[in-house]
Amino acid sequence: MKKVSLLCLLISGFIFSCTEKSDPSFDQANFTSVIDNKIFSSGIYPIALRQTTDDGYLILAERTIAESTFRGVYVMKADKYGKFVKETLLDDNFVNPIGPIITSGNTLSFICMDAFSLQAQLISIDENAENPTITPIGGITYPAAVDVDGTSGFVLLSYNQEEKNTIVSRHSITGAFVGNSLALTIGAGEDVEEPIINHFLRTGKRLPFQVGKIPDGGYFFNGFYNYTLSLMFSNLSQNPTLGVVQGQQDDGGFSAVHPLGGSKFAASRFNFGDNFFLPNVNLATNGTTTAVDLGGFSFPELVTNAPVKIMSKPINGANTLIFATDTKSKQIGLFFYNESTGMFLSSRYLGFSNPFEVASITSTRDEGLIVCGTTYLAGRFPRICLLKLSKEELAKQL
Amino acid sequence: MKNFVIPLLCLIATVAAYAQPRPQKLPKFNKNKEKEVFLKKQWFLGFKAGANVSGADVTKQYSVLSPSNYDLTEIEKKYKNYRNLGAHAVIEATFYFSGLSLSFQPTFRHNSFEYSNSYAWIDTENPGNALELIYTQTQNLDYFDFPVLAKYEKMFNKLSPYVQAGIYSSIRVNATKSVDIQGTDFASGGANQFKDETIIVGAKDLYAKNHWGLLGGVGVYYNLGNVRLNLDIQYRKGMSNIASTENRYSNNQLSGVGDTLDDMRLNSILISAGSIFPLRFLAKNFRSTDNRK
Repeated sequence: MKKVSLLCLLISGFIFSCTEKSDPSFDQANFTSVIDNKIFSSGIYPIALRQTTDDGYLILAERTIAESTFRGVYVMKADKYGKFVKETLLDDNFVNPIGPIITSGNTLSFICMDAFSLQAQLISIDENAENPTITPIGGITYPAAVDVDGTSGFVLLSYNQEEKNTIVSRHSITGAFVGNSLALTIGAGEDVEEPIINHFLRTGKRLPFQVGKIPDGGYFFNGFYNYTLSLMFSNLSQNPTLGVVQGQQDDGGFSAVHPLGGSKFAASRFNFGDNFFLPNVNLATNGTTTAVDLGGFSFPELVTNAPVKIMSKPINGANTLIFATDTKSKQIGLFFYNESTGMFLSSRYLGFSNPFEVASITSTRDEGLIVCGTTYLAGRFPRICLLKLSKEELAKQL
Repeated sequence: MKNFVIPLLCLIATVAAYAQPRPQKLPKFNKNKEKEVFLKKQWFLGFKAGANVSGADVTKQYSVLSPSNYDLTEIEKKYKNYRNLGAHAVIEATFYFSGLSLSFQPTFRHNSFEYSNSYAWIDTENPGNALELIYTQTQNLDYFDFPVLAKYEKMFNKLSPYVQAGIYSSIRVNATKSVDIQGTDFASGGANQFKDETIIVGAKDLYAKNHWGLLGGVGVYYNLGNVRLNLDIQYRKGMSNIASTENRYSNNQLSGVGDTLDDMRLNSILISAGSIFPLRFLAKNFRSTDNRK
């Protein structure tokens, strides 16, 4: 009898121990989510994402506006599983939002533009995508790029159409100017301005404007200077220094830059449609050099002048660079490099059947990665997609 | 002459041996010449095969699409249960004792079931601009089952109907999914009906490696000499999730078209036919039904 009982116990143990148990942490660690709406003419194009304190996500996006080529502002809250919670649509006269979303305490902020005055607007909103407050930033028009500046402010790249200048300015979190601004001429003539205006009207090539702070204290910005889309470096002091890496008008230049410390950068560049990754490159932050001389790894599988996002992320204790971009096969390509050596590690492609385009990549609190992008449902309706990879999935890339 | 003596002796010995057979030795356990000894205690080994239909019992719904301006129920999966035919093959090892049997029936089971999602987009200002899509997902699953079950049978002449109940554990062997997309596009100047090419992907990792369940059923044996022909109907009720919770979104191709598996249990109805053979007393004087004629 004892033997029979033991046998039954063993069989039961075998049967029950192997079964699949529901675990909400898996649903949070890995997911694919597409935020859909039924409106045929609706187009939502995400720009930036930030994880909120409740492990959900706040997403900043552009939305199509009837009878305007400007894009309106759409802010959405998703829960920790990537599911829709709440959306806020700003009035149609607030257009062309730019990321990233800047945090200060529990307040999240971003920049957009007034469609009539073309003035930059600082929008603050809470973590639930509610209660937006709008603060105009006087004297700044055509905001093109923004990034955090230290712990309580931001640095802004904009365009002054009257003076035909690229402007770099620093601001407190309330929008007030801090320190000196830098104005650099784009060059004389209507032809120089045309690609800039087409970028803002969304009628031409989307230019990879970017601004940011280098860890050692200087600033970098990717904007027009002297007829050319150039990567520039400056200390933004009273007597500003200027280093320039020139592109080829709007046909060549940097598509993304990620400072690694000192003069070391991870970057990507484009040149007449071709794309090159530079995972470990030293850039001259003084003087004038040319981007085309930098070479780089060629990626013929990427779309023409591909938008690229670069981030550093420790994966399994190894400092890793992730390049995210759009492929010709309409997928989001992730390319992993060793940060210290620039050695290629692996690649991963996200999306299938419907087109997928990258908008933002962000590290999450659980050491995972969330990729925010646009997918075209049924091949035609632009919608926000969120693709979350757990730290275990990322570890497979090493 | 000598050449004929040895063969002749052999022939005589052989004929003598056939002419006077030794009385058959009864098995030790049946020295009392009991009746119905054949069916009092017996091991059977057999094979059966048949068709099955299956259905999903959803415990938690999942969706890639998260609607912002309509209800999730509009795009929920609609399961078409117990419609797709599957097949299975069973090896049966049964120990019978006085009407009761304990049976182990390793099974290779192929199940198929499908569900569909419907999506629609419409232009509120121009209702003529509309698109409707239907995604039909068919799952084909292969399992090895290890059922242990008890049977009770009653013999009526050559027929022995029985009832059975038991438990089973399953190991996933293979899984594929196919997705058919068809739709109607009203925005292209007419009702343009279209169908995309079927997407077929290996989906083994999307399903749990193991699951278990309970089973019950009825059947009948037709006793034909030493052989028992069998018709068997079983209902297998899954008791644990067949979806892999960890790999739910791991298939890029399926997630890309908006598909992800629900948590579900798999239930099946299996109809089988086959035969079983006794492993003891396989001699001509032991027949499964002789003593009932």
